[in-house]
Amino acid sequence: MSDPAPEAEPEPAVAAPWVAPSWEQVVREHSARVYRLAYRLSGNAQDAEDLTQETFVRVFRSLADFTPGTFEGWLHRITTNLFLDMVRRRQRIRFDALPEDTERLPGSAPSPEQVYADTHLDPEVQAALDALSPDFRVAVVLCDIEGLTYEEIAATLGIKLGTVRSRIHRGRVQLREALAHLAPRRPLVEGGLA
Amino acid sequence: MSIPESHLAQEAIAALVDGELTAGPARRAAAHLTGCATCRMAVQAQREAKEALLRSQEVAVPGDLLSRLCAIPFTADVPGSGGPGTLAAGPDSLTVSGSHGSWAVSLRPHRPGRHDATARWLRRSITGTLAGVGIGVVALALTLPAADDGVPSGPVARPSVPEEHTDVVPPVVRTLTVGPVPAGSASLTPAVRGGRP
Repeated sequence: MSDPAPEAEPEPAVAAPWVAPSWEQVVREHSARVYRLAYRLSGNAQDAEDLTQETFVRVFRSLADFTPGTFEGWLHRITTNLFLDMVRRRQRIRFDALPEDTERLPGSAPSPEQVYADTHLDPEVQAALDALSPDFRVAVVLCDIEGLTYEEIAATLGIKLGTVRSRIHRGRVQLREALAHLAPRRPLVEGGLA
Repeated sequence: MSIPESHLAQEAIAALVDGELTAGPARRAAAHLTGCATCRMAVQAQREAKEALLRSQEVAVPGDLLSRLCAIPFTADVPGSGGPGTLAAGPDSLTVSGSHGSWAVSLRPHRPGRHDATARWLRRSITGTLAGVGIGVVALALTLPAADDGVPSGPVARPSVPEEHTDVVPPVVRTLTVGPVPAGSASLTPAVRGGRP
């Protein structure tokens, strides 16, 4: 076994053959992106941490199967799938365990100040995002926050391009309505297009 | 016949905002928009929603999460149980090998201090077990050449017969040889050196 470990401080691999980074480099380079995505999707720090942790555990377990060049896409896929799994699991639990008239449990939602401190995202925007159905939310977040193309989103979620378009469109429509409701002083725009 | 009720498809509106329309459809959409206030508003609403999200900034990863992530090689189940990859331990790293190459997972402490309560704890427990093995070896090594050195170290151990020491369990030997020096500091340095086979 040739020794692939950088001896001292990990240095950026230059040129030529692809050199596997150390685990710590992987974490440092990608954790912020994964955490941000997890936070935008889940809407709270606790779930975001759990999702991020689980994403990196999956990454570590399948490092050996990783094909160089698709790391970001790989991370997006794992994170969003874990998020959707989590949502479905909770929906099942809610349907199974709770009577119909149960209200949302108080205290579980972070305060707007906390949301802003955590994410620097307008709490109203995060709340509007949280109100979207998970499928729409994932599409919108991948497009508008992560900056993926429709094609990349389709590949990440394993859905058709037309489905991506329609989810993004409907997600944004709902988002816009929620924001108009939350911020009524903002007039509905009648202006022209740029 | 073109009736005013014909509008852009919803998907086209989203795609237009995202620059995902190809040239032809984009031109047609633009032409339609000049004469259709309804679609213009729909486009504007999409744009506003997008911009509200674009304003979001970076999220800082909590420090303790970062150290938990760095510690995953120590805490997660080992890959290879089921997968085609293999795991090999080197002196300073784990190497995960698979069909696409191998990954180094450094076990060295990166930056001393700052973060990482968990990772340090884990490292310590690992080096602890290594040191435990090493201490035994070193302790034996110290007791044996002590006679040749002529250094009056371990005065308590002196009078007893060498054979007795080999029977004694390492921790007891260590306290005998080290004597007045604080046990930890004296035995740890050689133990670490000796702990790496």
